[in-house]
Amino acid sequence: MLWTEKYRPHSLDKVIGNAKAKTEIKKWVDNWLKGEKQPCLLLVGPPGTGKTTLAHIVASEFSDFVELNASDKRSYDIIMNTVGEASATMSLFNQGLKLIILDEVDGIHGTDDRGGTRAIGKIIKEGKHPIILIANDFYSKRLATIKTKCTVIKIQKVHTNSIAAMMKRICKEEGVKFDDQVIKELAKRSSGDMRSAINDLEVLARGVESISSGDLEVIGEKDSRSNVFDSVRRVLKSKDLKKVRQAMRLDEDPTLVLEIIAENIPREYEKPHEIQKAYEMVSLADVHFGRARSTRNYTYWRYASDLMGLGVALAKDETYRKFARYTGSSSFALLGRTRSKRDLRDRVAEKMSEKLHVSHAVAISQFPYLEIMFENDEMAYEIATYLGLSDDEVKQFRKRKIKVPRKAKSTKKDQNNQQKKEEVPASAHGESSLFAKSPLKSKTPSSGKKAKKSSTPQEDAPQKDKKVSQAKTKTKSRKRVSKSKEETSSKEEKKEDGDKGKQTSLFQF
Amino acid sequence: MSGPWVEKYRPGSLDEIVGQEHIVQRLKKYVKDESMPNLMFTGPAGVGKTTTALALAKSILGEYWRQNFLELNASDARGIDTVRTNIKSFCRLKPVGAPFRIIFLDEVDNMTKDAQHALRREMEMYTKTASFILSCNYSSKIIDPIQSRCAIFRFAPVKGHQVIKRLEYIVDQEGLDCDLQAIETIVYFAEGDIRKAINILQASSSVGEKITEENIYEVVSKARPKDVRKMLNKSLTGDFMGARDLLREIMVLQGTSGEDMVNQIYQDVSRMAMEGNMDEQLYIELIEAIGESDFRIREGANPRIQLEALLTKFLSRSKA
Repeated sequence: MLWTEKYRPHSLDKVIGNAKAKTEIKKWVDNWLKGEKQPCLLLVGPPGTGKTTLAHIVASEFSDFVELNASDKRSYDIIMNTVGEASATMSLFNQGLKLIILDEVDGIHGTDDRGGTRAIGKIIKEGKHPIILIANDFYSKRLATIKTKCTVIKIQKVHTNSIAAMMKRICKEEGVKFDDQVIKELAKRSSGDMRSAINDLEVLARGVESISSGDLEVIGEKDSRSNVFDSVRRVLKSKDLKKVRQAMRLDEDPTLVLEIIAENIPREYEKPHEIQKAYEMVSLADVHFGRARSTRNYTYWRYASDLMGLGVALAKDETYRKFARYTGSSSFALLGRTRSKRDLRDRVAEKMSEKLHVSHAVAISQFPYLEIMFENDEMAYEIATYLGLSDDEVKQFRKRKIKVPRKAKSTKKDQNNQQKKEEVPASAHGESSLFAKSPLKSKTPSSGKKAKKSSTPQEDAPQKDKKVSQAKTKTKSRKRVSKSKEETSSKEEKKEDGDKGKQTSLFQF
Repeated sequence: MSGPWVEKYRPGSLDEIVGQEHIVQRLKKYVKDESMPNLMFTGPAGVGKTTTALALAKSILGEYWRQNFLELNASDARGIDTVRTNIKSFCRLKPVGAPFRIIFLDEVDNMTKDAQHALRREMEMYTKTASFILSCNYSSKIIDPIQSRCAIFRFAPVKGHQVIKRLEYIVDQEGLDCDLQAIETIVYFAEGDIRKAINILQASSSVGEKITEENIYEVVSKARPKDVRKMLNKSLTGDFMGARDLLREIMVLQGTSGEDMVNQIYQDVSRMAMEGNMDEQLYIELIEAIGESDFRIREGANPRIQLEALLTKFLSRSKA
């Protein structure tokens, strides 16, 4: 049996430290047992401080318990099926309450455990049974909605002295002689993590008669298990060469580590000259990464590592005594948040790239000019059609959909009507139809000013014929005539555009 | 349907090309002889490299130029795979109705070294059936073996009076209301970049009936990467985090390149100094820092991180 199991406490009194948390938990249990319904408990704290132990001790007070932890898949369905069932039903035979323990709640995976947090929220709301949730990171995104519905109990790190005392007790029970100094050192290294302290002790002490200071070298410092943020914190908080170098030994993409260090420099450092110096180091490290990339010579990484680690660490005058909340790089978050906008940008750039013989980068550099040109309806219509931009893609340059310039349309229409009034029965009908066409035409050809010139005789010829024949056959009212005229001309318009850009239907007329 | 004027008024033949007379002359000989070596066009943006390549291809290949012409620019996939498959299979086929086939690779300086090395073999192997035209901004970014296989043509920025002539032609064709004074203003802002000049002209013409200097100033100031001045001011007043957020937004969302950002920062800083809003000593220190960032970015560092570092240089000076 592992010592961590063997020496796991089985009653609240025997749990070390966290006196306040223990009394709160005691009260919570007592109230439940008295039949008073209590909100769900959320235990948060660093690893190895006794959260799971506490939950299990509490479990023994109730008649039954169900537990789900990170080793189980925890999607919505699974949680509802296992825990949800248990939480909504009462035992038939005894009035006992069933405790539900959900361990490592912050470790619920976004995609693999889809809907997990939602399920937990639901269970908390509906449950008739006591629930204990356990998590490491109070600020985890997954806890954001849950923690408002819970009684939060923070479990603190165990004091080094308490850990040392515990280790001494174990040594005595196991019959191992020990050196006070060694135990103290082990306790210190564990940095408040009782479990790792006992594990380390077991490695050294199991099956031997005594442990001495020489044995300490067998055990690596716990830092090797640290994550990026711990390392970054170490870099920004320490000025010690060894500690910083140790912290930089990470299984992460070094350019990502660089990003996170850079991101958090201004969150930790306050004096401008410190920020400046630190960023200079980041910049130099980045230059080395660039060199490594372009030459494929990755030995440059080691310089980058020291520059962004120790270089940044030494940039501060002295360590700040404060707690700054660190975050991942906001530019990555920005990338995620703006994906659809960037996709749009790239789609438009791609179309420009094809038509204008330029690369995406050059196309994008022309966007500002296009934005200005797109304020002009006529020009916008023309360019959008030329590039074959859809309605969505037009949004890259202007918010409104493209309309045919109203001024041109309405004035010409008026003209049109006037003319019709004057010469409805006239033989000059052909000419009037020419005008009828021109206002609509004006949005298609090169530019408004040239519109009239560019509507060539060939284009108009078939229309003229139609109109003439209409004029001959019609005996109906003027309104109908003008309407049908408009219809036919706009139909032709559509056909023409359909051949060229197939986008016409997307524009508003 | 004519679309943007940069395309509508792209010269279709060698004769129409603005400036670059000595280059055009030589190229016409190739057309006459119906043969040409591999060519490399280098020079800044908007001086006619792509246009010349297209015009040359049309002149040499004649009626069937589309079938015998392959154009790949920086946004097309141009890794080793493309070079080894697409370009190769294009080169292998015999030209139809033309003396040879032409492969035009635009912005070659953005190709990786490995792809460039793959390319040099192709350039030798198919000399009988295909010729290459490469274009780039900086020939220094092209590996030596490729440079040695090409006849190199250096395109100079187009001279002011030539840009003016071209703009006048467009003004005339479009029936615009625009006087010489306005055209000269556009040419001043374009800095020898015809593409930019034409874009400014078209954008200004969309603003109002008459193209006035006022319109042009408006266009030019709107077309600058946005919020750069605001970003610098935030940094100068000590709000580094705010400045950094703004920088990220400009670069990530607007897609502004590192190079453009450096240019704009430089311009804004020098304007601040000219306006008397910046101490001379601070100005020269910042110029040093901007120059260094520019260099590091060109060396292959991450532009965003370099610019974030550059922003810190504005910080502690705020009190000075």
